[in-house]
Amino acid sequence: MEIIRNFPCLSILLAMFSAIISSALKGKWAKRLNTFVVTTVGILSAATLYLTYTTKESYVYVMGHFPAPFGNEIRFGSLEAGMALFFCIIMLFSLNGGRKKIKLEIDPGKENLYYIMVDLLLSSLLALVYTNDLFTAYVFVEINTIAACGLIMIMESGRAIEAATRYMIMSLLGSGLFLIGLCMLYDMTGHLLMSYIQISVREIAGNGTYMIPLLVTIALMVVGLAIKSALFPFHAWLPDAYGYSTVSSAAMLSSLVSKGYIFLLIKIIYRVIGFEIFVNSRIINVLFVFGLAGMIMGSTSAIRENDIRRMISYSSVAQIGYIYMGFGLGTTAGMVASVFHILSHAATKSLLFVSGVGLTDVSGEKTQFIELTGAAYRNTAAGLAFTVGSLSMVGIPLFSGFISKLLFSQAAVQSNVKMLPALIVLAVSTVLNAIYFMKTVIRIYTPIKSKYPSVSIKENQLYALTLLCFIVLNVLLGMCSQPITDWIRQGLAVLA
Amino acid sequence: MEYMLLVPVFFPILAGIVLLMKKEYQKRSSMLLYVGAVLLITGIFAVYGIFRITEGVTLFHLTKAMPVYFKLDTLGRYFSFLFTIVWILAGFFSFEYMKHEEKEKRYFGFYLIVFGILLGLDFSGNLITMYLFYEFMTLASMPLVLHTQTKEAVMAGLRYLFFSFAGAYMALFGVYFICRYGTTLEFTAGGVISAAVLQENRTLFLVVSMFLLIGFGVKAGMFPLHAWLPCAHPVAPGPASAVLSGIIVKSGVLAMIRVVYQMIGAEFIWGTWVQTVWMSLTLITIFMGSMLAFREPVLKKRLAYSTVSQLSYILFGLSVLNAEAATGALLHVAVHAFIKVALFLCAAAIIYQTGCKRVEDLKGIGKGMPVTLWCYTIVSLGLIGIPPTSGFVSKWSLAVGSLETGIPVFSWLGPVVLLVSALLTAGYLLPITMQGFFPGEGYDASRFEGKEPPYLMLAPLLILAALTVLLGLMPNGLTDRLFEFVVQAMRIV
Amino acid sequence: MGEHLLANYAEVVAVALFGIGFTNLLLQKNMIKKIIGLNIMDTAVYLFLAEKGYIEGHIAPIVVDGNLNPDTYINPVPSGLVLTGIVVSVSVTALMLSLTIRLYRRYHTLDLDEITMRLKKEGL
Repeated sequence: MEIIRNFPCLSILLAMFSAIISSALKGKWAKRLNTFVVTTVGILSAATLYLTYTTKESYVYVMGHFPAPFGNEIRFGSLEAGMALFFCIIMLFSLNGGRKKIKLEIDPGKENLYYIMVDLLLSSLLALVYTNDLFTAYVFVEINTIAACGLIMIMESGRAIEAATRYMIMSLLGSGLFLIGLCMLYDMTGHLLMSYIQISVREIAGNGTYMIPLLVTIALMVVGLAIKSALFPFHAWLPDAYGYSTVSSAAMLSSLVSKGYIFLLIKIIYRVIGFEIFVNSRIINVLFVFGLAGMIMGSTSAIRENDIRRMISYSSVAQIGYIYMGFGLGTTAGMVASVFHILSHAATKSLLFVSGVGLTDVSGEKTQFIELTGAAYRNTAAGLAFTVGSLSMVGIPLFSGFISKLLFSQAAVQSNVKMLPALIVLAVSTVLNAIYFMKTVIRIYTPIKSKYPSVSIKENQLYALTLLCFIVLNVLLGMCSQPITDWIRQGLAVLA
Repeated sequence: MEYMLLVPVFFPILAGIVLLMKKEYQKRSSMLLYVGAVLLITGIFAVYGIFRITEGVTLFHLTKAMPVYFKLDTLGRYFSFLFTIVWILAGFFSFEYMKHEEKEKRYFGFYLIVFGILLGLDFSGNLITMYLFYEFMTLASMPLVLHTQTKEAVMAGLRYLFFSFAGAYMALFGVYFICRYGTTLEFTAGGVISAAVLQENRTLFLVVSMFLLIGFGVKAGMFPLHAWLPCAHPVAPGPASAVLSGIIVKSGVLAMIRVVYQMIGAEFIWGTWVQTVWMSLTLITIFMGSMLAFREPVLKKRLAYSTVSQLSYILFGLSVLNAEAATGALLHVAVHAFIKVALFLCAAAIIYQTGCKRVEDLKGIGKGMPVTLWCYTIVSLGLIGIPPTSGFVSKWSLAVGSLETGIPVFSWLGPVVLLVSALLTAGYLLPITMQGFFPGEGYDASRFEGKEPPYLMLAPLLILAALTVLLGLMPNGLTDRLFEFVVQAMRIV
Repeated sequence: MGEHLLANYAEVVAVALFGIGFTNLLLQKNMIKKIIGLNIMDTAVYLFLAEKGYIEGHIAPIVVDGNLNPDTYINPVPSGLVLTGIVVSVSVTALMLSLTIRLYRRYHTLDLDEITMRLKKEGL
């Protein structure tokens, strides 16, 4: 069992070194290495999850020779390990689902570059999840940004480059704010390790002397991460970045990259600032309001959209609004709901992106709705998967979306002041979701004599298999939610 | 043993999915054989379950506090027995009718799926299970509405979907609160929320009850969210509109009974503004539905408006919170199911044989289709409420119960509206009979010669007409049991 | 208030610079100016860190002549952070510049808004 403690560090290194090795490999081998690494890291994370879940503890792994509070360290509990496992699963599925498109859309000479970026993305995500050092977190935030930017611009169309530039600019603004926030925190506390910062922050809050600088610091870090995870109103870069990149990139960006930042924020809330201090600061009210606004505005933008990829992207804005709304409720139940929604949204959104591309492929590569009429008959697997994803988004029971809505509402009714706005906005946004997703589902199931050829399942078995895995994952989240929420609760308890 | 309860729910759903996945049948008759066999087997298992199984069964846990749980009580037995009979009859009717529609496989596939879901809805033993099947029913019945896929049908289907979702989420809003404050989610006589909690959060729970009523009222076509019904029902193929109008809307009624009487508790609502609003809404709906039906020239649309009005009879009976009236309302569920399905099937038979959709085209139709028109006439008399048909019994109970309550204004306004609406009902149903049999001097009805539909269509019609009359002649066995249920499980006196 | 500002003049300058850089990165249309803004922003942070680590009268933490007394050296951690930060900012700047070059080759302009307008017009 002792050896499992090394696994988190090992998986970060594995992902990083595979990126380095891939630069010397041909595209095909880089792909194989990447699949191998993602699978291995998944297995390692599963073992870590097993260890941490059964012992109900969190472990510290010291990096280098300097002991705390000076050195660098990794700290992992069951929530971190579970997140790492989940990220690996989603990454594997997203890559498999978009494999064909990667081959078509990326210049063959650059295929290995794509997988280098994916490896880097994985290693930075893992580092964000596991690290206990704020400055390391910052460095990996930047690596994550660079890798994500690479994933967007690999298509080399003008649109993709422009989207990547805009993404880069917004991300840099976000990480700049995060950096200055963390420097100020270092100034106040004299530590970089999260656990030690928290001790000092408690003292500061207890004395009440540096309250305003502390508040400003928290605000800077939260806003920085909010920009990076596309919380309304900082979402302007998102539809282009998700809409014009290759499908695997879009799926990974929406379900992994933004979720990685949100997970870092959760860690900061629990481990750096401390949950009570965070709740008592007025920032949660701001998050709550922005979350609610995002839920409505994202959906209304999605309704107006005439392009399926961009519609799914705008729906991400709404879903991220849900997550921040859960933070804003300021209760443990709200946090549990948010973490569950991270999982649920990651599973559903990548499913929607991957199945959406199957539909556009049989519609002459066009993403406008009018061309998609009857696409579900031309590609039955994608049509079915898209329907399942839509139903989950709308919140039909048995699918994951229903459970997260249920958890949000259960959290909301515990709060007196925020109950009514939260529930009303939940209801309104659900109806809005229903409008645009059901509209699309009906559109793709409207039979017409189409000029486009249809694709049978046999022709791309890998794609169909991936979609099946996604659907199973979604239904699993929707039907066996109790162990998952138990795990989240336990994980949040040992996170602090 | 109690796991047999799952068979009638999941067997037709699976059979329907299998049918949808399969390749197109070579011979139409083999598909019909398959569908007929599934319908009958499900019927047998359902009847077995209804009369023999008293235990509940938990399928799995959605979350720890939310099991998917099936258990039959009198209400569930009554609804599911009723639905089974009518669903099978309409199913056999569609064997003939669907000959002239395309995409039969899809129709029958979803027909079977909805059957299973409906039985699941009736069998459900707690709120979450009911809500789950309620949502799925909306989704699975969608393709029946959309079947013809004309622009009109798609628009009607979308409207159906959005109204249903909006209603379901309004109801879900209330469900959240019941989950939070209730002691259990199982249906319990007199409600699951303790009186102290109710009193403490009085205003909140009144608002929640109103949301639940309006939300579930969408399915039952209650004003102000009724607008989808007259669009969605007529565009479906004949037998589908029959079951949509006769059966599926009743699930809204079932849901309302469950939440109002078995979750919140009738006592809490008694005498509050919620009851007043509920009663006013139902009365408005009754009157408005009848008026709109009276003015509507297209037969199927006229019948759909009539559904709006008749469903609110049931809801009115529930809203006055009186045992007699509630019994009448429950009886009216069966009455309306038999009659409205029969009426829609008549309309479908006429369309199938002659293609006539508008009322004024039907002059002299009795010359060619006498049996169909006789069935139509008998059930129409039932809907108006003329003895000895069953409609008389249920409406009598409704009126008497309403008068018993002594609520100011409404206790006498209700019966008056019922009476006026009965007159209007006669006004919109009977002219078809009269002009059908007596088209007037010199009217050439020869185009209807020999148009009597085949036996597969006539038999369900005759059975339904017979049931309407039979229930009117011998209602006591049923009403006694319903009354017992109303007093014991719904806790109203 | 005034004397506080004066006493912490380095921090004030750092925050002001950060603001200038941030606004430039956000609002400038020209890509090169945006990148300059980015660099100002990062430099402001380094200034802030360096000021925090500096202790009056102490020397750089490099062991010369076997002097191991920690009281003679400044705090080495911020310096380490600045070094790491510089590496990060250099790589990010390089990436931004390469993106700018690509955009310029395609559209012959550095104005990001104009590029967006043109893309919209093309309807790609």
